[in-house]
Amino acid sequence: MEQPLNYIYQKIETLSPMHSKKLKKNIAFFDERYYEQANSFFARYINILHHDHKTLDYSIDCYLRMIADVNSETVEFLRTGKYTSSTFAEVNQRVYARPETMEYYMHGLIMSQFLWKHHYQMLQYFTDTLPQYIKATKSYLEVGVGHGLYLSKALEILNDNTTLTAVDISETSITLAKNFIKDSRINYNLKDIFEFNNRKKYDFITLGEVLEHVEDPLKLLQKLKTLLSDEGILFFTTPTNAPAIDHIYLFNTVGEIQDIIKAAGFEIETERSLLSEEVSPERAAKLKIAILYGAFLKKSKAS
Amino acid sequence: MDKSEILKTVNDIFIDVLDDDTIVLTYETTANDVEEWDSLNHIQLVVAIEKQFRIRFTSQEIQSWNNVGELVNSISNRVH
Ligand SMILES: C[S@@+](CC[C@H](N)C(=O)[O-])C[C@H]1O[C@@H](n2cnc3c(N)ncnc32)[C@H](O)[C@@H]1O
Repeated sequence: MEQPLNYIYQKIETLSPMHSKKLKKNIAFFDERYYEQANSFFARYINILHHDHKTLDYSIDCYLRMIADVNSETVEFLRTGKYTSSTFAEVNQRVYARPETMEYYMHGLIMSQFLWKHHYQMLQYFTDTLPQYIKATKSYLEVGVGHGLYLSKALEILNDNTTLTAVDISETSITLAKNFIKDSRINYNLKDIFEFNNRKKYDFITLGEVLEHVEDPLKLLQKLKTLLSDEGILFFTTPTNAPAIDHIYLFNTVGEIQDIIKAAGFEIETERSLLSEEVSPERAAKLKIAILYGAFLKKSKAS
Repeated sequence: MDKSEILKTVNDIFIDVLDDDTIVLTYETTANDVEEWDSLNHIQLVVAIEKQFRIRFTSQEIQSWNNVGELVNSISNRVH
């Protein structure tokens, strides 16, 4: 069979030549593991699609719908300097509570994990770093599990007796993650994280691209601190300047993200700032190019 | 403002946004002719042009131009 990656790049080139140009610029920055990992991911993903009577063409279409959304949000963002929505109620109605929107969005997003340089690099950062914490992690929680890709990696990396819990506010996300991961060890919770409380503490919490979805990100980090064991680790990612249909909190700079980490009483173990385009930092600031920030945090001892 | 002046201003915006001072636009230029003109840069260009000319394009327009000449026509219809 043809390699899925070739098929995807070719199909996108026919359907959206301008976007294909942008994607191809990224290719030069993928590392040597990329082709093997991406092709094996897509092979698995295609299998899951088939079970659901869908094909890769369906996902490519979802991905391009997501890109069309991002593009129109970007036009508004560059015009006004703001995201189009600012309250949780708005995006809940516009996105999370709409299975049809959520479905193409999550399929689009999972595709982007292996098509966007910064998404791919963040996943590598996570899978390269998590092994350090295997021993200390008896319980693992992922908040905003979405498509489930990060959780599937955690499942592969962590010990067999680690308990795994997932929370998401969208039923579509939970169903997708379940189908993608297919493992009975995971306990899924359909809940707003602010309402999640099962009196347990977790040794490791992952929060991937959720902070920009809440009205008060500081409050969310503080909430997660209460769910984290004393020596626990929080891995989180969030972008700056990244307009999307469900983003409400705008971080203008990485400095603003680091500030709320401190304010919430966390210390940074390691961090990464990944530019979504290969441009100089000056041009990135001028053109408001998104930076995906990710960090492993622990509770700060002083607080 | 006549079309050749608009073209010249648009050319300057392309040079600035795409960071390439070798760009020479004609009415026939398409995205295929300019290496850096991809989907994201297209949006950057559109918004920079809007700001420069103090105009607003519709979302249909933004996706409709097949070449620089059509873009210049859209601008020309709005600035007098
Ligand atoms: C952009 S996706 C991120 C998916 C994945 N974690 C990743 O990093 O690619 C955000 C996810 O967070 C969920 N979410 C947003 N707000 C939430 C909240 N208040 N509580 C729980 N989940 C939330 C959404 O339903 C969605 O599945």
